[in-house]
Amino acid sequence: MAAALGFGGSNAPDKPNPPSAAHSAHHGPAHVLDEHRLTPASVSSLEVHGATNTRRSLLDHVFQPVVEDLAPGGTTLGQVLDRVALATKKLARFDIFKEEGFGVFLSEAPRTESAPPTDRTELDISIRVKEKSRLVFSAGTDFGNAEGSAYTNAVARNIFGGAETLSVNASTGTRTRSAYNATFSTPINGNPDLRLAVEALRSETQKPWASHDEQLTGGNLRLAWLSENDDSHTLSYSSVWRQLTGLSATASPTVRADAGDSLKSSVTHTFTRDRRDNPMLPQSGYLLRTVSELAGWGLLQGDVSFAKTEVEASGALPVALPGRTAKSGISVGAGLRLGVLYPLPSGFALTGPAQPSRINDRFQLGGPLGVRGFKLGGLGPHDGADSVGGDVFAAGSVNALLPLPRVGADSPLRLQLFANTGRLVALNRKSPKGNESREGLAMGSATVFRGVTSAINELTNGPPSLAAGVGLVYAHPVARFELNFSLPLVLRRGEEGRKGLQVGVGISFL
Amino acid sequence: MLVSPSCSVSWRFGIPRPLQQLFDYFPLRALDPNALPERSQCLTSSDLPTLYVFSTESDARLGLPSFNPGCLKWQTLLRLSSLPFRILPSTNHASPTGALPFLLPPRTTSTSTSSPPPVPASQLLAYAQQHSPSTKDNSNKIDLDPDLGPRAQAYLSLVTLSLRNAWLCALYLDPSHADLLARLYARPASSSRAVQAALLAQLRAAAAEQIVTSTGGMVVTTSAAAGGVDEESVYREAREAMEALAGMVGESGTGWVFGEARPGVFDAGLFSYTHLMMEFMGEGLGRMVSESGKGELARHRGRMLEAAWPGWDGKRPTE
Repeated sequence: MAAALGFGGSNAPDKPNPPSAAHSAHHGPAHVLDEHRLTPASVSSLEVHGATNTRRSLLDHVFQPVVEDLAPGGTTLGQVLDRVALATKKLARFDIFKEEGFGVFLSEAPRTESAPPTDRTELDISIRVKEKSRLVFSAGTDFGNAEGSAYTNAVARNIFGGAETLSVNASTGTRTRSAYNATFSTPINGNPDLRLAVEALRSETQKPWASHDEQLTGGNLRLAWLSENDDSHTLSYSSVWRQLTGLSATASPTVRADAGDSLKSSVTHTFTRDRRDNPMLPQSGYLLRTVSELAGWGLLQGDVSFAKTEVEASGALPVALPGRTAKSGISVGAGLRLGVLYPLPSGFALTGPAQPSRINDRFQLGGPLGVRGFKLGGLGPHDGADSVGGDVFAAGSVNALLPLPRVGADSPLRLQLFANTGRLVALNRKSPKGNESREGLAMGSATVFRGVTSAINELTNGPPSLAAGVGLVYAHPVARFELNFSLPLVLRRGEEGRKGLQVGVGISFL
Repeated sequence: MLVSPSCSVSWRFGIPRPLQQLFDYFPLRALDPNALPERSQCLTSSDLPTLYVFSTESDARLGLPSFNPGCLKWQTLLRLSSLPFRILPSTNHASPTGALPFLLPPRTTSTSTSSPPPVPASQLLAYAQQHSPSTKDNSNKIDLDPDLGPRAQAYLSLVTLSLRNAWLCALYLDPSHADLLARLYARPASSSRAVQAALLAQLRAAAAEQIVTSTGGMVVTTSAAAGGVDEESVYREAREAMEALAGMVGESGTGWVFGEARPGVFDAGLFSYTHLMMEFMGEGLGRMVSESGKGELARHRGRMLEAAWPGWDGKRPTE
């Protein structure tokens, strides 16, 4: 083991199977190691080169398990290599080192004359990294959900040497008149999979489906972590001043009644399990996401008080052609989304008067990547031309993706056949019109419960609004583009279906 | 969504006939419309026209005077006309003109698909005259467009400049009314202290700017207090204006401005300031009103209250 050997290369976390020590041992110069994996070995020294701006304590955290002698009978060479691989992968996830800059070099430590002879190999480990530039300015165009935007962005990386990041962003887009935010994010306890972030934001967004603009000013505190099996969790507290303003001349009475200020103070938990093979063009695997929000209740205060939860599940299955072993590129998929908003009394009370929801808290449904064949916000209650949203919704879709002839299964282009359906219902008291017994807006808790139950029952009252069509899907790494021809089959009067062509760009889709 | 409207228009016009025929078949089924949300049903389904003003929920339920002079003027005029209406508390964001008040006519049909456009303040009286149940009866008719002579114009500017500036100065810039300002304008908007503080700062800055621009910069001081407004000269002008107005009201034989037989637009405008000053600023501007012209303005206010809110004891419900 006198020869120094290196196994360098990428340890980026986004690679599906980063080469582990055991894996790389099967080929390349490291195959010698295979026989020696069980050789007792321990770490004599560990050096990290190139991390000039990174705090010692952060590196200590990461490499602690490598140096620590945990196994009772001493460690083997295989164990040491595994631990080094684990530590470098962890280091890569901080996003402060260049992907291609990683190199790990092992050499046998020179034995001191006086030391007693032993069959244990003492290793000197040298790890080379290249830090990414600490200050990055960028500008460009971006595709978010249902909108395109231009942005300028400044990122300061590794500010205090502990992989802290400050990101300042300004953008303007097709719907966002202006948006500014600043986010400071730091790993906790030297763990790249546990991050705390503080964000301040201000934005003004057009909501053309309901004839108004919404201005947001606020901030949030987020704790995000990856669980052992790669599920992502985010727990956040946010406090946002929302101002519903800039109403168009034709704004409906519902929108006028909701214009003005409100503060939402809420706690949100988001869970995502993404097991899809390709997030923009899933051909196999599934996605599970839940969003649960509690606003205004208890200590949270603020002007709105509700519990809101949303569940999304989608999956795809590849379809093999009989008699062919090669990937056919054909797949079938399905998706389901459900959501409920439940108005709560403010303070710590569980029963008591609760305010019905406002337009900026209610769900909107429909659009070229949601329930296709409907305009954005095209489903659900409408006041005149305004989509005023609902408190309960269910939406589902089925689709088949077929590769185009001559382009082939490996291209990101697919022919899509789809049918999707949705139902968006608002909570209300269903009192006969002209009944002026209601004193003010607030509803008692029994009324709220009856209202929510009847809204949920209303979901299945009659066939859901439905559209079907055919189109092209192009999966760009940044966003998914769809051009569909669709026709609404069933809808409620007031709902805005879209006959003919519809273009969709976005990162999440049903 | 990136469906550009221009794109959809050109497609519409270019639709070939067979495709149009296909489109006409869809949707295959159109079901009953979705019901509107509770908040919307509760706030917008009244059979009466709704005047959106600055008010509190409890005041609005009783139809009590708005605490905003601009809103109170039109609310008073509507009450003097025989149009039945209700009021709802609202904010400037809701108004088609950017300022309250405005009126929403009742929905024409029971379905939620259409609603008549909002009526801005300037067209309120025309609306009232068209829709009053007693249009034939001219006794309640208010002169819509009182073609004010030069003398009347001069008196009007005393109300719209001097009294208004004094009201703005006292309510927004005088620290002794800070709590009143917060109670009237900030707390109804949001329960959050931070939002209230931000709104108050915006309101104060806007008020100071309005006073300075309306007087052409005549009342600016170098002191940083009161937003750079010379309060003393604002109040002095207000006192002079009140004396002049009181004299004019006193000369009128009928008790209404310019000797009219019934209260009109000018009376309502004057009342909107004198009433609010007396109700909310008893010690400062309120005393100034009651002292001017040996109580002439206070008596005018009393007559207006009696005409527009007969039977109201002047007390507001405590929230």
